Amino acid sequence: MRVNMMHAEHKTNFSLAINAPQGLRMEQERIAVEVNGLNLYYGGKRALNSVNMQIPRNRVTAFIGPSGCGKSTLLRCFNRMNDLVDSCSIDGQITLDKENIYAKGVDVAELRRRVGMVFQKPNPFPKSIFENVAYGLRIQGIKKKRLISETVEWALKSAALWDEVKDRLHESALGMSGGQQQRLVIARTIAVKPEILLLDEPASSLDPISTLKIEELIHELKKDFTIVIVTHNMQQAARVSDYTAFMYMGDLIEFGTTDQLFTNPVQKQTEDYITGRYG
Amino acid sequence: MRIGIKQWFASGLPWIWLNGAAVSINVIMVVGVLALIAVRGLGHFWPAPILQAQVQGQEQSTSLIGSIVDDELVSAEQLRGSGVVLPASQESAKRLLIKTGNRDVTRADFVWVLEQSLRQITYPQEIMALERREWGNFYGRLVAIKQAGTVVAEQGKQADQEMWQLMQERVKRSLNIYDDIQAIEKGAIGEINHGMERLRLKNRSLELENQLTPLLQAELEAERRQLDRRYTGLQQQLIDLYAAFERDSMIAETMSGTQIEINLSKVVRAYRPNGMTNMAKVNFYMSKIWEFVSTEPREANTEGGVFPAIFGTVLMVLLMSVMVTPIGVVAAVYLREYAKQGLITRIIRIAVNNLAGVPSIVYGVFGLGFFIYFLGGNIDELFFAAAAPAPTFGTPGLLWASLTLALLTVPVVIVATEEGLSRIPRAVREGSLALGATKSETLWRIVLPMASPAIMTGVILAVARAAGEVAPLMLVGVVKLAPSLPLDGNYPYLHLDQKFMHLGFHIYDVGFQSPNVEAARPLVYATAFLLVLVIALLNLSAVALRNRLREKYKALES
Repeated sequence: MRVNMMHAEHKTNFSLAINAPQGLRMEQERIAVEVNGLNLYYGGKRALNSVNMQIPRNRVTAFIGPSGCGKSTLLRCFNRMNDLVDSCSIDGQITLDKENIYAKGVDVAELRRRVGMVFQKPNPFPKSIFENVAYGLRIQGIKKKRLISETVEWALKSAALWDEVKDRLHESALGMSGGQQQRLVIARTIAVKPEILLLDEPASSLDPISTLKIEELIHELKKDFTIVIVTHNMQQAARVSDYTAFMYMGDLIEFGTTDQLFTNPVQKQTEDYITGRYG
Repeated sequence: MRIGIKQWFASGLPWIWLNGAAVSINVIMVVGVLALIAVRGLGHFWPAPILQAQVQGQEQSTSLIGSIVDDELVSAEQLRGSGVVLPASQESAKRLLIKTGNRDVTRADFVWVLEQSLRQITYPQEIMALERREWGNFYGRLVAIKQAGTVVAEQGKQADQEMWQLMQERVKRSLNIYDDIQAIEKGAIGEINHGMERLRLKNRSLELENQLTPLLQAELEAERRQLDRRYTGLQQQLIDLYAAFERDSMIAETMSGTQIEINLSKVVRAYRPNGMTNMAKVNFYMSKIWEFVSTEPREANTEGGVFPAIFGTVLMVLLMSVMVTPIGVVAAVYLREYAKQGLITRIIRIAVNNLAGVPSIVYGVFGLGFFIYFLGGNIDELFFAAAAPAPTFGTPGLLWASLTLALLTVPVVIVATEEGLSRIPRAVREGSLALGATKSETLWRIVLPMASPAIMTGVILAVARAAGEVAPLMLVGVVKLAPSLPLDGNYPYLHLDQKFMHLGFHIYDVGFQSPNVEAARPLVYATAFLLVLVIALLNLSAVALRNRLREKYKALES
């Protein structure tokens, strides 16, 4: 692992290592989420300008762009986390399984169960490791002990955390390291079996080893989930994603396969950004 | 090297000294208060030596037996003014307050005498002190012991030690019988009275509803007769017990030589402090302290214990906490989490904060007017019509006292809870919401548990304030002497409508309403010390609970 990591760092210093499979084509993908003409305002200020995009199923889609470009805001639209901000208003559509999630009468709690989210800083609940993962299940009213403990085990295994915590499931989650906490949060999120996993800079507060583990985990998880990841770190986007969207000042500048976007960007702004001229 | 006064000020040193001084003054005051009430209060229970002396009057001398309680220096001028003859050179004289007891013989159980007028001071071993159920203490000599009117032991015929032993045994016997009598009167007969009252109310309510059929009436009558039968049986037992109780008596001689007969049923404790070893004194002290905290008061609260007052205080505070916590927490949750923040919530917050500053007696008046007369009156009309015209809840009682204090302390809980809620990190709330939890699920499962230490802080402050409050309680439920505890074995076990005793009010009552001020004064200190102790204990247990919660939810502070 250490070798692997040094290898990764070594690469980042010189060129972008693109891990993404070659030859992906959007036309051949099944679409999980479709964004149509999405505008978002904070008070009077426009933060997203008619964004249109399609998120492919069982792929990793990365949003990159400089700070304040609206990539996190866009991500938080997918599970309506922006509803919590009083001054925020939205028009346009986001379609999940042919249903507009911003339509009237949509059960937001149910939507958030289908669209899980992991935040920038690990935010475990002040409960035991087991209870953290079981939380979403208990919220759904699941009472069967066997089902809960099986799901918890599955989620922790999927998040590559099981071996580290199986002997202390009932200790407080707050005693874990930052990297473990973040993987716990991922386990907690996938325990409710969402269709889509939103990752908002999941590794930005972690050390390189933990970051690497998270990235490996993302690779594993895309078999079962559609993943959307926001990242500051272009190398990370290049390493983990299949598709990449570049955003700037609330506009979606370019969206394509990671391979194409990093090696042969269409837009000048994209090229400037990935070659480090600004951002 | 000398530094100028200006530099000295600039160095900040004077402020440090000032702060240090302020802290020391506070510490000294707190320690001083505690030390004063502890020494004055707890010293009262130590067996004071009993002196025997001759008081030299102008013409004749009288003998005196008693223990020194207090002394003071009085100017000679003042004494001469009241007719005391003193040597011309003397400027002041020491005056002693001596507890001589024997109120039934001498009409007063305390006397002031000049120290210099005492002659032949001795501390004879055989002087005994009797604590009695009425007339206060007796000091004097044991002359004879009688059983059913005939003398069984007499000074001169039996050895003194032997006689004393005999008396102690007999006192113990009568105390045991007293316990049995109490058990029957308070326990079994109390239960029967309770049953009788229940039957009466049932009868009356059936009558009011016009459903009192002869069959039902006969049933009630049968039940009543059964209770009556039990009562008659107990009555017979009591008569026998009382006969046994009053069998023994003693002849005792007072300081002036009068002999009186004292029935042993009146004696709570007999001891000879002058002959006690230190060990015996410690034992005596402990048993007095235990008596103080575990028994009921006697003689208009000037003797005996304060157990009902401790019990009432603790129960009232616990009930208050149980009521104030949900009200305060729910209000704070609404204000902080649901209400739209704006002018109205600001006004509400200001109002809540001001509520904390309203004088407590105002709450008492409000409790009397609203809770007791209005709410209680209506409850009586609706549910307790059978008991009318005697009020059930339309009279001061435990429930209304707790509610009034809950109202008094609810601002503290609201403010503390709001503070706690505002400190819960947004990330944790979002984490829960992102898993598909609704806002209320997030509140109940994540936010409130995490805010529980803050809520406990509010409850601690509320308890501290409520436990020391007396003024409003005088209007809404506290009495000088409650016939029974508000929690007992009779259905419904917790009698929310009953009046109760309270340590704070007890202090006031003993200190200011007592017929025997001198006898009561040490109890004022002792009760005050106990009140402080009870409040400290209540607070400490709440703090311990909070620390446990903090440990459990020491969330995300890193």
